[in-house]
Amino acid sequence: MTELNPWIDGLVALLLLIGAFFLLVGALGMLRFRDFFQRLHAPTKASTLGVGGVLIASMLYSAATGRLAIHELLITLFIFITAPVSANLLAKAALHLKLPSKAGHPERD
Amino acid sequence: MHLPLITLVALPFAGSLIAALLPTNARNAESTLAGVIALLCAVQVALLFPDIAAGQVIRQDIPWLPSLGLNFVLRMDGFAWMFSMLVLGIGALVVLYARYYMSPADPVPRFFAFLLAFMGAMSGVVLSGNLFQMVLFWELTSLFSFLLIGYWHHRKDARRGARMALTVTGAGGLCLVAGVVLLGHIAGSYDLDVVLAAGDAVRAHPLYRPMLVLVLLGAFTKSAQFPFQFWLPNAMAAPTPVSAYLHSATMVKAGVFLLARLWPVLAGTDEWFWLVTGAGLATLLVGGFAAIFQNDLKGLLAYSTISHLGLITTLLGLNSPLAAVAAVFHILNHATFKASLFMAVGVIDHETGTRDIRRLSGLARYMPVTATLATVAAAAMAGVPLLNGFISKEMFFSEAVFLAASPGIDRALPVVAVVAGMFSVAYSLRFTVEVFLGRDKCGALPRQPHEPPRWMRAPISVLVLACLVVGTLPQWSIQRILETAARPVVGVLPDFDLAVWHGFNLPLWMSLLSLVGGIALFFALRSPMRRGHLAKAPLIGRINGKRVFRSLLARLTLAGRHTRRLFGTRRLQMQLMLLVLVTLVAAAVPLRRLGSEALLAGGDRAMLEFSPMFALMWLVGAGAAIGAVWQAKYHRLTALALMSVAGLVTVITFAWFSAPDLALTQLSVEAVTTVLIMLGLRWLPKRLEDVGRSQPLRVRARARVRRGRDLSIALCAGAGLALLSWAMMTRSFPQSISPFFLERALPEGGGRNVVNVMLVDFRGFDTLGEITVLGVVALTVYALLRRFRPAPESAGLPPQQQALPADLVTDLVDPYSDEDPARGYLMVPAVLIRLVLPLAAMIAVYLFMRGHNEPGGGFVAGLVLSTAFIVQYVVSGTQWVEAHMDLRPQRWIAFGLLTATATGLGSFALGYPFLTTHTAHVSLPLIGDLHVASALFYDIGVFLLVVGATLLILTALGHQSVRGRRVRDNEEDERKEGAH
Repeated sequence: MTELNPWIDGLVALLLLIGAFFLLVGALGMLRFRDFFQRLHAPTKASTLGVGGVLIASMLYSAATGRLAIHELLITLFIFITAPVSANLLAKAALHLKLPSKAGHPERD
Repeated sequence: MHLPLITLVALPFAGSLIAALLPTNARNAESTLAGVIALLCAVQVALLFPDIAAGQVIRQDIPWLPSLGLNFVLRMDGFAWMFSMLVLGIGALVVLYARYYMSPADPVPRFFAFLLAFMGAMSGVVLSGNLFQMVLFWELTSLFSFLLIGYWHHRKDARRGARMALTVTGAGGLCLVAGVVLLGHIAGSYDLDVVLAAGDAVRAHPLYRPMLVLVLLGAFTKSAQFPFQFWLPNAMAAPTPVSAYLHSATMVKAGVFLLARLWPVLAGTDEWFWLVTGAGLATLLVGGFAAIFQNDLKGLLAYSTISHLGLITTLLGLNSPLAAVAAVFHILNHATFKASLFMAVGVIDHETGTRDIRRLSGLARYMPVTATLATVAAAAMAGVPLLNGFISKEMFFSEAVFLAASPGIDRALPVVAVVAGMFSVAYSLRFTVEVFLGRDKCGALPRQPHEPPRWMRAPISVLVLACLVVGTLPQWSIQRILETAARPVVGVLPDFDLAVWHGFNLPLWMSLLSLVGGIALFFALRSPMRRGHLAKAPLIGRINGKRVFRSLLARLTLAGRHTRRLFGTRRLQMQLMLLVLVTLVAAAVPLRRLGSEALLAGGDRAMLEFSPMFALMWLVGAGAAIGAVWQAKYHRLTALALMSVAGLVTVITFAWFSAPDLALTQLSVEAVTTVLIMLGLRWLPKRLEDVGRSQPLRVRARARVRRGRDLSIALCAGAGLALLSWAMMTRSFPQSISPFFLERALPEGGGRNVVNVMLVDFRGFDTLGEITVLGVVALTVYALLRRFRPAPESAGLPPQQQALPADLVTDLVDPYSDEDPARGYLMVPAVLIRLVLPLAAMIAVYLFMRGHNEPGGGFVAGLVLSTAFIVQYVVSGTQWVEAHMDLRPQRWIAFGLLTATATGLGSFALGYPFLTTHTAHVSLPLIGDLHVASALFYDIGVFLLVVGATLLILTALGHQSVRGRRVRDNEEDERKEGAH
């Protein structure tokens, strides 16, 4: 482990903590929400801010140790593409199964 | 100067190929070709006699696999010389005979091609200097005999007879292979010279008995000894030239050839005596007895052949050198007269149209010359003096009398010999008297008999002449040949005298007694047989060998079917349970002996420090696995999702322990396998929980007991495996191979990623085998799924697809529609997911390129790319994707294999062994210095194949949805039409 500038060190740690916090928030949301459609919102926090925080921390760390690696942005790109797809299909399935919803159901499919 | 020995084997085979290509009715061309080849080889062999007689052994070694010590060895000593003359000489005569026998309607190329090939194979058996090579040619003779017996394959008896012959001789051939392997192991080499010199060592070896039994099984099945004699009479469905050549003179002699060839090595022990003489005597009596009562001329000759082969076997089993000489002599004599007799029967069949003794009578008036020849040959068969059969019979009688063995055998053997002689006289008389003499019944025959063409009679004349010459002037004609032939068999030749007259000694009285007795027997049986009483042989006639054989085969088939029903995959759960049980028992037994305390105590390997996060993660994974099991019965999709959690925990474990390559591979395989199972789950019928709950109590209790049993077995197996893993992982390995690879990966393999270097370089050949297997599996899945028809209860559309919005037209609604699915609720997913493909391809290439030095590699890259393709299929539908992208997974598989193999072969071109890698250093203008290992191209092959195989399996499954709907729509249309 090379020696890092203490400011960079602290910034990386802070970003990691923020990322971890939002991952926790997302997981808690999955547990606590009682309605499927509400639960569908919870992982979005984890996959955007949570993963984003960890990725930015990783990029900062690699920049600081001399091997700049920005290809980790691709991870975010992939998540931004695939998460809506799966959410869309899940929501459609839930609508078809007429899962109980606090907001009520649309009149037609 | 003579041609090399290989021509004697290669020339008939070459002739066979040419004969197969000639037009269908070219009888003259075919027989000339075959006859010239046979004559050429026969003359060649005859010219070798002076050298052979002087004691020289001609040997030709053709190197084949020098590193394994395997050469193609041809070896001719006196015994092989005699047999070669038999095979080639009688072959030439049979070819001449067959030219006139085969009718113009028969497809002649097939006949002569098989006959020549058989000649080559038989020469190979006789001339082989290597035991394994001999077995190879042995099997070839069985094969060609099968093809020749079944020549008239439109006839049921020919087909049945051929199949029976092949089964029996083939099974014997298998036993012979095992016996030869043992013999080679005992003697130290498969080379015949070495084996023949190792006689004492072989006889004293503890494995002598099993080896002897196996070799004898091979020899007895081939030479139709008791109890395997039943195939030979059924082989008489073959054309008569085939019977004359194969089933009297050459192929059936292969068994006794083997016995005589291995006589110096195997004979001399009590086991040999009892087994060989016992079988021989039984055959001698059974064959002779049955021959008397046959109504078919060829059947009579077949049983007579069996009997004479029994005689030869008995002589070889007596453990006496003089008896062995007599056996060799009788091989020669029997071939001569039996071939001529078969040819005479063929003439009778050809000219009169029937072979039934009951219908034939008084033929001597119409074909006098043939009758004379046949009578002389039959007399030789009976052992009448002044013919060759008499001399070898005399030798047999004298051996039987002068044998020194246990008292019972001493008395019994001469009696058996005389009785057998009586039988042979009786059936020879039946052959001649009933057919040629007597009242003229030729008006009732299908054809008007007359003499055959001169050239058809010529071979018979030659052979009968030989019988006469050998019989009257043995010392002048055959003595030297017999000495040359017998010397390699017995080693030191005993004194023997081939004079016709030895004085009034006991053997002569025995001959006379058997002559008189045979004549009396014949006349005693004549009237009952004429009146039709004794149509079957008494006592043994009831045992129909063919029926016994077929019932045996049927029983074997039934047993196989029963076992398959018991253990087969129709009852998959039972099969899996048995598998786990057997593994449990097999592992528990040795572990038990170690003692459970020793196992639990663990070894002395240093333990890593405990990490609570790791333990927590594993708890989650374990919980997910147990949850999967719990939900598996009624909620399969849930169970699948939970199983993937367990898989992800494995991925994190790999990453935790610094195995990133493994983690990457596990992750991608996990994804693909989950999709695969999901696609398959769609076709499984749904299990309904309330049905289970509504069963009567008795049924539910039984189900509970069964589940309890399964649970306990699973728990035991799991606990056992955990214990084993614990015991293994806590002990340090004495010697590990990882340091070897870790040290050598970079300098010798050119890469820092040890796993990848191992896969494509150090263990490259293994990987080649594995990707081949993967390709084969994918093709098999594809082939199996083409005929897949879903069960009726799962063939219906899933509920989600039955209620579709009107603005959605995809292949969910119309299986032939390939319209853009990006409509309605699928607009967002369909559009977005198309972006994934190029990005995923880029990632795949990136993973591929960095694989040699960092985690990645061809396999992972392939899986990533195929996942991207599958996602297209899932969201956009099969029809649309295939209309826009012509993926041909089979071509990917093929190109992958070709690339990998070509890379391996490339090193051949440069003179290195297969799959040697090379690192090239290239400097490109803008990019800089590059190290390119040839393993890169190998990895490309792996990549292509993985993509192709995965896609093939997954798309084959995916197509079922489209096809299933087509079937359903057809059924609905049919029902609608039926209703009208």
